[in-house]
Amino acid sequence: MNEAASKFLERAFLRLGNLRKPIYPVMMIAAGKGIFRPMFTMMDKKEEPETKRYTAIREGLTELIAIPTYYFCGKASASLSRLFPPKLQGNAATNLMFIGVCGAALFAIPALCSVAIKPIMDAIHKKKAPEPQPIVLSGTVKQSKFPVKYHNNFNSLNTFSSRMPDAYRLNSRIGGV
Amino acid sequence: MLSAITNTIANQHLANIALNPIAQVSIETTLKAIGRPAAILVDKDISPDTKQYAASKEFLYQATCLLTFLGIIVPLFRKGGFQLAKKVLFKDKPEFQKFENVKEFEHYMKLTKKSIEDRRLTLQKEKVKDKYHPDVRKDLETNENPETYPLIVSTIGVFNLMGSVLGLAVLAPQVSHMFIHPALRLLGLEEKNKKGTEEQKTAPAAKIDTKA
Repeated sequence: MNEAASKFLERAFLRLGNLRKPIYPVMMIAAGKGIFRPMFTMMDKKEEPETKRYTAIREGLTELIAIPTYYFCGKASASLSRLFPPKLQGNAATNLMFIGVCGAALFAIPALCSVAIKPIMDAIHKKKAPEPQPIVLSGTVKQSKFPVKYHNNFNSLNTFSSRMPDAYRLNSRIGGV
Repeated sequence: MLSAITNTIANQHLANIALNPIAQVSIETTLKAIGRPAAILVDKDISPDTKQYAASKEFLYQATCLLTFLGIIVPLFRKGGFQLAKKVLFKDKPEFQKFENVKEFEHYMKLTKKSIEDRRLTLQKEKVKDKYHPDVRKDLETNENPETYPLIVSTIGVFNLMGSVLGLAVLAPQVSHMFIHPALRLLGLEEKNKKGTEEQKTAPAAKIDTKA
């Protein structure tokens, strides 16, 4: 490995290694889950496309809610360390942050998801809902896949007009719209 | 009473656990494996069969995630990461060459927190007599504050973090997905739940629980 790459790697590892706070691993895991879980769901060939899309959006939203919740719960509980004597504040901040993260995973995130996800999913579903289908009165009507050709069964004399080409008759404005 | 709570919250051991991604993820997953099924079982709006099914599924998911994480990810990334750094990424760095493996480095880090007399006594023991590189041994025996090797500590931390993210976000869900359905079938919960849903589908509309 060349010198510059080695230096860059060293700096990057030292910087990342210093992110020693309990909120960072859980936020990174949530971000990873937010990317990979919907991806795996969409790759599933056994599921219906609509179900896949619904599940993937739901999973993505859950992790999207989880990331800021972990951050705020961790930070809020760590701020309580100010109540401790100055000598203990460092350890107290770390431990309280960890307790906050556990609380977020157990209570805050499920609660927020149950409140927020349903309205969002309903809103998305409403937007994508198909237009109402016309009401079919009889269930036995079968539609032909070939274009229907109208046959005139009346016994009448075929006049000149009836022998005109269809395109000509339909484009003529005589006697109507 | 208050001082006991204060001391517990400001405990050094707890802080060490909280700063270790592996311990942190393990504790959090264990809590989820207990807490989430419990929350499902407490819910009054779901039928008992569905509750049992959902709680078992959640427990099995979290448990398999934890086992996969501890069984595959931790050894692979902790040990493999150190060896990768030593042999490829930082092979020019002398500090990596002083330690055989991650276990030896972690033992060294434990010793650095002890007093110099305790360290000397420990180094006399048969187990660690020929363990360390001469420079490291000398540092431990003579220096009051031995070197802490921030690059090695950071490297182990980064690989732990990478293992946690990749393990919990990618590998563990796949493994648990393979394991959950056969396990639920073995417990007889999947058929039960299917019957429950079939009954719900065939039931008259007025009887369907709209709250659920």
